[in-house]
Amino acid sequence: MKTWLHSWRAAIRIARRDAWRSKGRSALVLAMIALPILGVSALDLTYRSSELSPAERVERSMGAADAIFRDAQVEGVPILQDPQGEMHTPAKDYKDQAWPNGRTDVTKAIPAGSTVLTDRSGPAKLTTVHGLLTTEVRELKASDPITRGITTLLSGRYPEKTDEVMATSHFLEASGLSVGSTLSARNFDRTYRIVGSYELPDALATAQVNALPGAFLAPYAKAVEKSGLPAPGTSTAYLVKKSGGFTWNTVQQINTKGVAVTSRAVLLDPPAESEVPLYAKDGWGSWDSSPGADAAELAAVATVVGLAMLEICLLAGPAFAVGARRSRRQLGLVGANGGARSHIRAIVLSGGLVIGVAAAVIGTVLAVILTLALQPVLEDVMNQRFGAFDVRPLELLGIALLAVLTGLLAAIVPAVTASRQTVLASLTGRRGVRRSSRVLPLIGLAAVLLGGAIALFGSLATESFVIVAGGSAIAELGVVAMTPALVGLFGRTGRWLPLSPRLALRDAVRNRGRTAPAVAAVLAAVAGTVAVSTFMASSEAQHRAAYEARLPYGAVSTFVMEEGGRDVPAVREAVQRHLPVDVRADVERVSVGKPGCDPWGGGGQGCGRYEVVLPKANECPLYATALPGAGDPSEKYTPDQRRKMITEDWRCSQSSGGGWVSVDGGLLVGDAKVLQVLGVDDPGAVKALAEGKIVSFSRAQIDKDGTVGIKQVTDIAAADKAMEKGLPAPGKLSSVPAYLVPEGQKSYGVQLLMTPATAKAAGLATLPAGAYFSTERMPGTEERQKLDGELAKLGSNVDLHVEQGFVNDDSLFLIALAVFAGLVTIGAAGIATGLAQADAEADLKTLAAVGAPPRVRRTLSGFQCGVVAAMGVVLGSAAGVLPAIGLRLTEEREAIGFYEEAIRQGWDNGLSGPPYVPIVIPWETLAGLLVAVPLGAALLAALVTRSRGALARRAAT
Amino acid sequence: MSAQQPVLQLQNLARVHGAGATEVHALRGIDLAVYPGELVAVMGPSGSGKSTLLTIAGGLDTPTSGRVIVEDTDITTASVKELAALRRRSIGYVFQDYNLIPALTAAENVALPRELDGTSARKARVEALKALEEMGLGHLADRFPDEMSGGQQQRVAIARALVGDRRLVLADEPTGALDSETGESVLALLRSRCDAGAAGVLVTHEPRFAAWADRVVFLRDGAIVDQTVRNDAESLLSGQVAEA
Amino acid sequence: MSIRHGLLALLERGPRYGSQLRTEFESRTGSTWPLNVGQVYTTLSRLERDGMVAQDGEDAAGHALYAITDSGRAELRAWFEKPVDRTSPARDELAIKLAMAVGAPNVDIRDVIQSQRHHTVKAMQDYTRLKAQALVTVENGGAQERDDVAWLLVLEQLIFQTEAEARWLDHCESRLIRLSATAARTTDTRTTPAAPAPAAPAPATPPAAGAR
Repeated sequence: MKTWLHSWRAAIRIARRDAWRSKGRSALVLAMIALPILGVSALDLTYRSSELSPAERVERSMGAADAIFRDAQVEGVPILQDPQGEMHTPAKDYKDQAWPNGRTDVTKAIPAGSTVLTDRSGPAKLTTVHGLLTTEVRELKASDPITRGITTLLSGRYPEKTDEVMATSHFLEASGLSVGSTLSARNFDRTYRIVGSYELPDALATAQVNALPGAFLAPYAKAVEKSGLPAPGTSTAYLVKKSGGFTWNTVQQINTKGVAVTSRAVLLDPPAESEVPLYAKDGWGSWDSSPGADAAELAAVATVVGLAMLEICLLAGPAFAVGARRSRRQLGLVGANGGARSHIRAIVLSGGLVIGVAAAVIGTVLAVILTLALQPVLEDVMNQRFGAFDVRPLELLGIALLAVLTGLLAAIVPAVTASRQTVLASLTGRRGVRRSSRVLPLIGLAAVLLGGAIALFGSLATESFVIVAGGSAIAELGVVAMTPALVGLFGRTGRWLPLSPRLALRDAVRNRGRTAPAVAAVLAAVAGTVAVSTFMASSEAQHRAAYEARLPYGAVSTFVMEEGGRDVPAVREAVQRHLPVDVRADVERVSVGKPGCDPWGGGGQGCGRYEVVLPKANECPLYATALPGAGDPSEKYTPDQRRKMITEDWRCSQSSGGGWVSVDGGLLVGDAKVLQVLGVDDPGAVKALAEGKIVSFSRAQIDKDGTVGIKQVTDIAAADKAMEKGLPAPGKLSSVPAYLVPEGQKSYGVQLLMTPATAKAAGLATLPAGAYFSTERMPGTEERQKLDGELAKLGSNVDLHVEQGFVNDDSLFLIALAVFAGLVTIGAAGIATGLAQADAEADLKTLAAVGAPPRVRRTLSGFQCGVVAAMGVVLGSAAGVLPAIGLRLTEEREAIGFYEEAIRQGWDNGLSGPPYVPIVIPWETLAGLLVAVPLGAALLAALVTRSRGALARRAAT
Repeated sequence: MSAQQPVLQLQNLARVHGAGATEVHALRGIDLAVYPGELVAVMGPSGSGKSTLLTIAGGLDTPTSGRVIVEDTDITTASVKELAALRRRSIGYVFQDYNLIPALTAAENVALPRELDGTSARKARVEALKALEEMGLGHLADRFPDEMSGGQQQRVAIARALVGDRRLVLADEPTGALDSETGESVLALLRSRCDAGAAGVLVTHEPRFAAWADRVVFLRDGAIVDQTVRNDAESLLSGQVAEA
Repeated sequence: MSIRHGLLALLERGPRYGSQLRTEFESRTGSTWPLNVGQVYTTLSRLERDGMVAQDGEDAAGHALYAITDSGRAELRAWFEKPVDRTSPARDELAIKLAMAVGAPNVDIRDVIQSQRHHTVKAMQDYTRLKAQALVTVENGGAQERDDVAWLLVLEQLIFQTEAEARWLDHCESRLIRLSATAARTTDTRTTPAAPAPAAPAPATPPAAGAR
C-alpha cells in the first residue's frame, strides 16, 4: 500500500512537471474540463444560496408573526389543509351538490390574547409617467415589528400618514416615478405621496405599493364603483402573534371554522404525512414525485452528465495521447530504470489526474468567486434575494470529483497504449505499427446492432419514447466505439487523391489513436445535432400543416372587454396610427345589464349576460345538456355509433372556422366591412346585413323558422340554478331573422354578425368591443413594438392579434444547435490537426528536403483538419438521422393511436382527419454540416498554419 | 577476488531476429561473466551484436536460447513484472544520450528507481544526494537536465545507474554524443565506480574508451572472438611487453 | 632529431650536466624513450660542435655544465614552430606485414589482424591505466605538476597513436570482409552459398578465464 503510494508520487511529479512544460496543451485540456465544472458549480452555489432554510422562508412570508390566517372561502365549514396552509378543501365530500362558496369572519377564529395585524391587498390602476399600470396595492403596516423580514426598506421611510405610501423599487422603475413623487389612480380623486421604496426579498420583480391599513383600498373601491365599474376584489390575511405559537393540532382546530392557517411552528417542524388528513383524501395525496419519476429523472441527468463527460474525454483524450507519444522516450527511460507497466500507466494517468485536479480547483474557485461577484445580477435573474451564501462542500466536492474523473478517463486509453509498448521500442523510437484493437469495433458493432434493434422495437412495437431514445443512445455509443475501424475504411478511398489530401488521409488513418477520438467527438456532436434538427424539422412540418390561421394573412384584430369598452376608441386609434391599416371594421358586442360588467356575467349586482339559443333539434346528441344524475350523454352510444355521428352528422361536426371570438355564440355587431376584412366573399351576406338580417356561419344556430334566438339573462343566480337542473335559463328572448352563409367560407371564429341597427331593433344594447383591420402589408416588428408600447400605457387588457401565418419558434434553437455542432467539430478537428502537425514535423522536414514548396505545410494542415471534420460529420449525420426517424415513427404511432381512441370515444370533432406526422430531413442544416463545416474547418486550419511551422514548434515545447 | 560470485553471467546466449529467409543471428553462443569491481568493454563492428547483448543482459529483450543470470537470478524465466523490479534494484542503464527525464531534477532522476521501488521520497532523495556527492556531482542536484551539459547528464545517469544497492551498470555508447575530453570524464567516473566495487559492461566502438576497461571483449558476427586482459601498469613502466 | 631538441629544450631552463639531463628527459617522457648517458653525451658534443650549446664551467660536485647558446635558442624555436615532418613516413612493420599477408597461402589475415588488435588494445588499456593514475596526480596538484602534465600529454599521444592503429586495423578488416564477400560472389557461383562473411574460426583464448 505504502509502496504503491510512493511510486505514484513519483509518477505525479513527472506528470506535473510535464504539464507545466507543455503549457499550451495543458491549458487547452484544462479549460475544456474546467468550464463545465465552473458552470455546474456556479449553478449549484446559486441554487443552494437561493434555496432558503425553513426559518428564512418563514421570516420572508410572515415576519415575526407566529401564523397567517386566511379565509378558506367556504362559508366557514370545516376544512382540511396541508401543513403549508397552501392547499385546503372542505372536510365534507360534496360530490354533485353545490359547494359552499362564501366568506367567513376570520377574526372569530383568532384566539384571544393574540396580536393581530391585517394584510390586505388588491389591484389598482395607478397612473404612471407613461400611462396606467395595474399594480397590487398592499395595506400592511410595514413599520410594525411583526412584519420585520417581509419587506426590506431601501430608501426613504415607512408611510406614517394616510396619504403616504411606499413602493417597490421594481414599481418605481416600471412607472418612472421616484420617492417624493405623487401617486394617483384612475377613477380615484385622492393623491398619495411616495415616501419610501422597498423590496420583497422573495419576489424582487414585483410591482407593489404599500399603504397604511384602510388608507387606499376601501376608498378606491368606493370610487371605482361610483364610476359604474365593478369594484376590484381584495384578499385579506391576518398576521397573528401569540405566545406559544400554533401547533399542528391547534391549526387543525382552527380549520374547523373554515380558516386556513400557515403556522411558523408547523413549517419549522412539519407533521408526518400520516398526520395530515388532507393527504388521505382522494386526489389530494402528497405532491411528492413518485420514486419511478425520480429514477427516470436521475437516469436522464446521469445520461446527460455521462454524455458530456464522454464528449470531453473524446476531445481531451488525443491531447493526452500525443503527450504520451511525445514523451515516449521518457517513458522508455522509466522502463529501463525499472518502471513496470503499472508505473508507465501511472505516469500517463497522472497527467489526467493533475489536469483534472487543477481543473477542479480552478473551476470551483472561479465558480465561488463568480457567484459572489455576480450575486446582485443572479438575484435579479432568480427574482429573489439569496439567504446565506450557502457553500455545500460535499456537493462542490462531488462536482470537482467529476472533473478529476473526466481527466482520468480521458487519459486511460493513452495510458494503456503507452504501457503496452515495449521498453525497447520506446527507447529506439521505433513506431511499431500497432494493430488497432479488434475487440472495440466488435463491441461497437454489437452495441449498434443491439441499440438499433431496441430502437426499432421501440418505434414499431411500442409507443415509448424512452425505449427509442435509449436504443439510439446505445447505438450511437456503438458507432463511437467503431470509429477506429470506420476511419480505417476511409483510408482505402485515398488512392486517387492528389498529394496533400492523400498524405492527410493516410496520416489520419495511420494514426488512428489520435484521429479516432477527434472523429468520435465530432460524430457525437453532429449526430446529436442532426437527430434533434431532423426531429424538429419534422415537427415543424407537422405544425405548419396543422396551423390554423386566426385571421386572413396580414389582418389584425383587437378586443378590449374591460370597463364597458371605455378604452376601445383609443385602442382602435392606436392601431390605425401605428400599423399600415387598409380597412378598419369596428365591432361591438351585445351587453346585458350595467355597462361596467364583464361580458360573461361576472362583476356582481346589476350584471347580466346573453345566450345564443341552440335549438334542441340541432344539438349533437353526444354533447347534449346533461341532466342531473344522468351521466355523460355520449355514454349511451357504442363507439361505432359515435364514430358515425362524429364523421357524418352535421350537428356534431362543427367548425369554428379556424379562429375564436371571446363572446358567447361568436356573436359580433358590425357592418359589411367586417366581412370584407375577414375575406368573406358572399354578396348575399352583405345584402342580408343591409336588410336587417343576422348573418350566420353556423347551421346549428338557426332554428326551424329561420331565426336565431338571443336570450338576455338578467338574473344570473336564477339562470345558474336552472342550468344545474338542466332547464333553460329565464330571460327575454329576441328572435332575429337569419341568413346562412353557404359552406366553404372561413369566418375565423365569427359565427353571427348583425349591424348595430339590427341589434337596436331587436332590443339589444351594445358596447364597443374592438375592431378588425386589413393591412396594406404585413406590419413590421418595429411598428408592432411601438403599438405594444402604446397599448401597454393604456393599462387595459388589450387582446391584439396580428396574423403572420405560421411562425416557427424553433428556428433560433436549430441555428444555435447547428452552430454548437459546428464549433465542436471545428474544435475537435483543430485539436486533432494541431496534434497531427506536431507529429508530422519530421515528415514535413523530409518533404521540404525533397523540394516541396512551403505552402505544402499549409495545405496539408488544412486537409488534415478537413479530413477529421468530414469523417466525423459524415458518420455523425448517418448516426443522427436514424434515431430521429425512429422517434418520429413512434410519434406517428402514438398520434394514430390517440386519434383512433378519440373517434371511438366521440371526443374529437373529426375534422382534423387522421394525424399527419411527416418525416422531414433538414437538408439545409445537413448541407451546412456536411459541406460548410469541414470546408470552414479546413480553411481555418490552413489560415492559422504558418508556412514555417510556428504552431508545431509551440505545440512541441 | 576470483572466488567472488559474478554479478552478471551470460551462458550460451543466442538471439535470432526474424525467421526463415530473413533470419538473422544477432548473437550465437555467448558466454561471459562480469565480476564485482570489473569493467568489461564490448567492441566490435556495427552489426556484431553489441547492443543486443546489452539489452538482453538488462532484460529489455529476451534471448532465443541460453541463460542470463544477474546476482543469482535467472532473468530469462522472469516475468515482465519481475524484470521491471530487477531493473529497479539490480541493473542500471546508461544510454548514448537523453538519459534523464526532462521533467525531473538531477537528484529526482537519481532517486527515481528507488521511488518507483516504493522508498519514501525523502529517503530516496537522501540516497540520491549521497550518490551524487560520492561522484562529485553534488552541485548538480537541483538542476534540470536542460540546465546541464551533456557530460554532466551522462555522469548523473551513471549515478542513477548505481544508486541504492545496484551494482551492475550497462552502458551503451555512453560517450557517443560527447567530445573526447568530456567523454573521458564520463569514463573516468565509470572506472572509479568499478574500482569501488561495481560491475560494468560498456559497449563502444571507440578503442580509446574501451581501453578504460579491465577486459575488452571482441565481438564478431554475434560471437566472442577474442578478449584482452589488462597488464599491471607497472610492467609497462619497466619496459616489458606483456602478453595475456 | 628529437633527442637533440629535447636536450635543447631542457637546457633553455638553465645550465645542466649530462646525467641530470638524462633524468629530467626521462621524467618528462615517462621513460617511454629510455636514454643512456652515452647517448646524452654524444648528442651534447654534436650540439657543441654545431655551436648550439657551450661548456659553462662546473658545478660544486665537479660536473661539467652545458648552457644553450643563441643559435641553439633559434634552432629550438624553429623546431617548435615547424610541424613534424611527414614526407618520409617511418617504415611501419605492421603495414608491411599486412601487405605481405594478403594473398599469402595458409594465412588467415583476419587472425593476423585480430592478434595485432589484441596487442594494440591491450597496450592502450595499459596506457590508459597509467593515464588514469596520472590524472589523479594532476588533479591532486603535486609539486611536480609541470612534469606530470607533460607525462600525461606523452601518454595521451601514445594512446591516440595506438588508437589510430586500432582503427586502421578495424578498417582493414571490414575492407577485407567486403572484398572477400565480393570475391566469393563472383567466383563461387556454382558452390553452395557460403556465409556472407568468411567463417570466423577465431580460436582466441577461452572467454572469462578467471578474470584478473
